[in-house]
Amino acid sequence: MKTLLQTSTALTLFAASTTAAFAADKAAVLTNYSNIAEAKYQDSLTTAKILQSAVEALVASPSAETLDAARTAWIDARVPYQQSEVFRFGNAIVDDWEGKVNAWPLDEGLIDYVDAAYGGPSDENALAALNVVANPTFELSGKTIDASDITPALLEGSLHEADGIEANVATGYHAIEFLLWGQDLNGTDHGAGARAFTDYAAGADCTNGNCDRRGAYLKAATDLLVSDLEWMAAQWATDGDARTALLGDEDAGISAMLTGMGSLSYGEQAGERMRLGLMLNDPEEEHDCFSDNTHNSHYYDGKGVQNVYLGEYTRVNGDVVSGASLSDLVMAVNNDLDAEMRGKLSATMDALGAMKAAADGGFSYDQMLEQGNAEGEALIMGGINGLVDQTQSIERVVTALKLEGIEFEGSDSLDNPSAVFQ
Amino acid sequence: MRSTALAFSLILTPFCASADMVDDILDQQILPGMETLASTSTTLARAAKADCRSNSTLMRRAYDDAFDAWMMVSHFRFGPTETDNRAFALSFWPDSRGKIPKALSALVRNQDPVINTPEDFATASIAARGFYAMDYLLYNSEITGASTAEYHCNLFQAITADIANTAQLIHNDWQASYADQLRSPGDRYQTEGEVKQELYKALNTGLQVTADMRLGRPLGTFDKPRPKRAEARRSRRSQRHVALSLQALKPLAIALSVDNVALADKFHLTFAKAHKAVERLDDPIFASVADPADRFRVEALQQLVNDIRAIADTELGPSLGVDPGFNSLDGD
Repeated sequence: MKTLLQTSTALTLFAASTTAAFAADKAAVLTNYSNIAEAKYQDSLTTAKILQSAVEALVASPSAETLDAARTAWIDARVPYQQSEVFRFGNAIVDDWEGKVNAWPLDEGLIDYVDAAYGGPSDENALAALNVVANPTFELSGKTIDASDITPALLEGSLHEADGIEANVATGYHAIEFLLWGQDLNGTDHGAGARAFTDYAAGADCTNGNCDRRGAYLKAATDLLVSDLEWMAAQWATDGDARTALLGDEDAGISAMLTGMGSLSYGEQAGERMRLGLMLNDPEEEHDCFSDNTHNSHYYDGKGVQNVYLGEYTRVNGDVVSGASLSDLVMAVNNDLDAEMRGKLSATMDALGAMKAAADGGFSYDQMLEQGNAEGEALIMGGINGLVDQTQSIERVVTALKLEGIEFEGSDSLDNPSAVFQ
Repeated sequence: MRSTALAFSLILTPFCASADMVDDILDQQILPGMETLASTSTTLARAAKADCRSNSTLMRRAYDDAFDAWMMVSHFRFGPTETDNRAFALSFWPDSRGKIPKALSALVRNQDPVINTPEDFATASIAARGFYAMDYLLYNSEITGASTAEYHCNLFQAITADIANTAQLIHNDWQASYADQLRSPGDRYQTEGEVKQELYKALNTGLQVTADMRLGRPLGTFDKPRPKRAEARRSRRSQRHVALSLQALKPLAIALSVDNVALADKFHLTFAKAHKAVERLDDPIFASVADPADRFRVEALQQLVNDIRAIADTELGPSLGVDPGFNSLDGD
């Protein structure tokens, strides 16, 4: 790791001395972006393996301590993963895979017992209250499914997005989160899910039934997360498909970087994840709703966008991966725009940081969502406004770099020109 | 009026085409559209004051008129509609997780006093506000039945007064300052190119909502059609919304093509085809999507809208010299 760090420091110094020549090198920008992606998925994998060990310890000897350790490991695992979300939009290989690890929101009644207020099957989802933990066999789309053995293959093959419903989330971080915390029944009051460690206890100590099956589910979901992250980290290695695809067409690659930044900032984070939850005053709309970790998820998503522009990522172990960046490319064509972009990214991080600090200080994200809570609304809107504002600058960057010959692609109609005039 | 304006701007094309383009879109579409939204919404609030029974013909007609007016401008999702999340408050749709019935039922069950003042109601969940809550409340016996007559009446009056207030605020902002920001870039928009990009994005977003959501959501898949996802189906407005959106988007596409006659002709042709298809459909809530023999009509309509999108993507963007940019539908 030290070698990579020294190399990147040397590259940065080189960039500073010969900005124009260096900045024109799109391949270097794409390589650094791929290095950062690889480091983020490796960090996600490392932290997921720590979670895996903690889950094994919990299932082997359930106690308040082992449950707490598993929860801490889950929260730590989210830090690098959320910073990787900026790679989704724009990189098809990531977007096609992402639903396996971070699908959200979920109808958690598919997996395990839920509170009576959750209700049963809904108009949108007949399987909303299936409860696989309690049912070794069940009907799915007219077929009988044997779930006596809860395996990664069962979760991935039969259950995930069962019946074509996206809310049937059987795998990934949020399924694991539900199994570690349980439902958060505090509404917009302070407090996360309060699952007891005895939900994993053996024999007569077992609460809520089927503790062995619940443990098997938790282990299977965690094993699957680890193998899915292993696969994605490999796609960004030297000859990995994600890296090769990106470097195969430099202009399209730069476009993919900006598409990821803009789509995550605006439609996904500012819109779907933050604004909707706020406008609905609905804690079920929290991204990490069981654990009350939503403030960290939003913060590290924002951080990921900033990482891509600045071409710099601080790893879980403190090492820094850095090198040629979009910022260098923009600086070479429009110094003011680069300053504007950096300023807006930084303003967003200040706003998300204020929201995170408030939540870390005890004013939890679900309290901020409460109807009429002006202070909470201001904190969340600060983040949203920053994200919306920075999207305008990202659009300006797209326009500015287009002068250098970047062509944009990615719409359905461009992929399928025969659709025109049929 | 429109043909005069168009002819006039064609004459001036060589000198200042794009300035005229923006003025034309503001003066012919945005400003009058927002004014109609404000006035019909005020009429709706008055109708609810006069007769707040859910079967009130007066209120139902006024609801239809105001919702129509919103459909004519709902694609202009920038500036005044985004301030204080106003467009979200007018139109929370799609409601993929069933928040509207939950929010309305909770208000009614608790006889929640949040509806008593406009200030309080403005802080309520968007699921209980706006046109889509009205769709549910006007035509859903479950919720109307559970409510006491008095609370029910107050709820209608609260929602419609809130719609009228929100519509008026949007209209005021356009009049007071936002139209000028488009006419004279320098602040929010740094260049004329950025103004054109904003209007181009409005066209693309409108087409995308109609193809992917208004038509795509109820279509679902052949094996799993989702007719209950049809937009505003309780008030039987689903097909009407597709027709209105095409009616609203066509003049925008034509105005944005003012410098490119061949492209404007293509839009005339493709919009006419799509419009004819929607007129012929006679399927107010897209119930036919569940019929394997019949759903092709809705699929064909969706294809026609996608054909228009393709022209906007591949030809209009380059013709205007602008990039697609980002919109609120990016993401999952």
